[in-house]
Amino acid sequence: MMRKYRETVGSISGTIVLAIACALVLVPLVFMLGSSFMPAIDIMKMPYRWIPEVWKPGNYLRALAGNDGSWMYLRNILNSVLVSTSIAVSTVLLSSLVGYGLAKFRFRGRNAVFMAIMGTMMIPFETIMIPLYLIAVKAGMQNSYAGLIVPFLMNAFGVFIMRQYLITFPDEMLDAARIDGCSEPRIFWDIVFRNAGPAAATLAVLSFRQQWDNLLWPLLIAQDEQMKTIPAYIVKFAAEKHADEGAMMAVAVIASVPVFVLFFSLSKYFLGGSAVYQAGKE
Amino acid sequence: MKRREIVGALERNRSKWGWAFVAPGLVFFSVFSFYPMLNAIWTSFFNKRLLSLKKPVFIGLQNYQKVLGSEDFWNSARATATFTVGVFVPLFIMSLLFAALITNMKRGKRFAQAALYSPAVLSSVVAALIWLLMLDPRGLANQFVNWISMTPGIDHQWLSSATMVQVSTMIVYVWKYLGYFTILFVTGIGKIPDSVNEAALMDGAGPIRRFFSITLPLLRPTTVLVSVMILIQCMKTFSTQYLFTQSGAPLAPINVITLNIYNTAMRDLNIGRASVMSTLLFLLMLGLTWIQLRTSRNSEADL
Repeated sequence: MMRKYRETVGSISGTIVLAIACALVLVPLVFMLGSSFMPAIDIMKMPYRWIPEVWKPGNYLRALAGNDGSWMYLRNILNSVLVSTSIAVSTVLLSSLVGYGLAKFRFRGRNAVFMAIMGTMMIPFETIMIPLYLIAVKAGMQNSYAGLIVPFLMNAFGVFIMRQYLITFPDEMLDAARIDGCSEPRIFWDIVFRNAGPAAATLAVLSFRQQWDNLLWPLLIAQDEQMKTIPAYIVKFAAEKHADEGAMMAVAVIASVPVFVLFFSLSKYFLGGSAVYQAGKE
Repeated sequence: MKRREIVGALERNRSKWGWAFVAPGLVFFSVFSFYPMLNAIWTSFFNKRLLSLKKPVFIGLQNYQKVLGSEDFWNSARATATFTVGVFVPLFIMSLLFAALITNMKRGKRFAQAALYSPAVLSSVVAALIWLLMLDPRGLANQFVNWISMTPGIDHQWLSSATMVQVSTMIVYVWKYLGYFTILFVTGIGKIPDSVNEAALMDGAGPIRRFFSITLPLLRPTTVLVSVMILIQCMKTFSTQYLFTQSGAPLAPINVITLNIYNTAMRDLNIGRASVMSTLLFLLMLGLTWIQLRTSRNSEADL
């Protein structure tokens, strides 16, 4: 009886701790959203009012137009969408191609190839960014979409996920298709790739998200305003002398909406067992 | 006899297709991973400058001597180490604690996980930007701390004092990744068989006792994995520090190694020295990733 009572008290206090933690974690997000509708002077007011007293949706216009009225953010958003989407698509496509080769074909040196590709995970991007930059400059890829996209066309993590997923693909189906005279590329495209759904979706979202976040490489390769992506724009916008705090938060909200929509519409893949972890087991 | 020939030909054909499928990967990783890696190591032995038309001169270990002898490098090493420890301890403890609490909850598990996870969805730069405003002298952080400690009107200099700016970058990071690692722990705890816990319950073990004697030891694969992941993440931190310094925070206390590499290459144009730091970072990561791969393979076998 006493024990039961104590456990209930324990579980209630645990829930309270958790509720406070969740509330605190959400504070900056509420702050971002609320402030994006406030005049700058209200954002720094003491005490801070969570709900805007004066609504200023003009922050969003200012965010998109920029401090100099060049509307560069629109262009930079477009760049981010284009770059992240291309990379998501190519990562899924190329990783499944290579993952399929590693999962379903037996050939001499297969393990060596697999280990070599996995080995690239140990190479931090920060280590190779300067040689990569020099290569890209030599190839004339500065300030171009090619320069932003090509170094991330695929990655070892993607190959790993797709290989693990495709290993479980039934061999009988592949053999049946072969007996029917289906060519190997056809088998890959019509049978394997069409059925790679869940793993491919997870990988696509993770790759998209990763590029949406990428600051370091665009900073190096795209110094032209026209070719910047969202993170680089944000840094520039925030560092400007006359940056308006409300507009800054509007910039932040605009940058966050796509990834939030993407993640929470696919939350079943990411919550209750993160996709990364899922990928780690067969 | 004939049959064996046909099988042999099929096998050869299959193996050709295998190579065909992995070929794009081989080409890609050779050009965009292995070559740049070797190039970084190679360049670290040369006096090479960006935008210079002069041919790089081989100078042996001089770059290493310069870097390892410079106060600037050790400052960066210290900044990175401070940041890593300062993030690791609270992040590890809190995500483990919250995971344990979430597991014990009857209702609202999904909501709690989604709420804690939501900052992880944001871009690092956006996360840093939100905090940049909240940490302003007139901002929310000062108001909140002064309200808790009942010290109205004190400016805690979040973005200007050397120690506080370090603390600020840690806060941003812990806030952003808390939910991510909590979910990893929740998943790990979920894999512990219920029967073990029930047996302990029968024996009369309380929740705290169960956590330390059962959950924690059985969770070892996850704790090692999470530890290494946090360490790797922290050593590669860049965005927060970059945004803060660009917006006027002092550079020295948060001049982490990646920021230093970036500045050495792009501002000082000294590719050789940047490559030395890149190589050292690589060696450190190599060790950590090796541990990570080994434990994740072991944990696969365990579970």
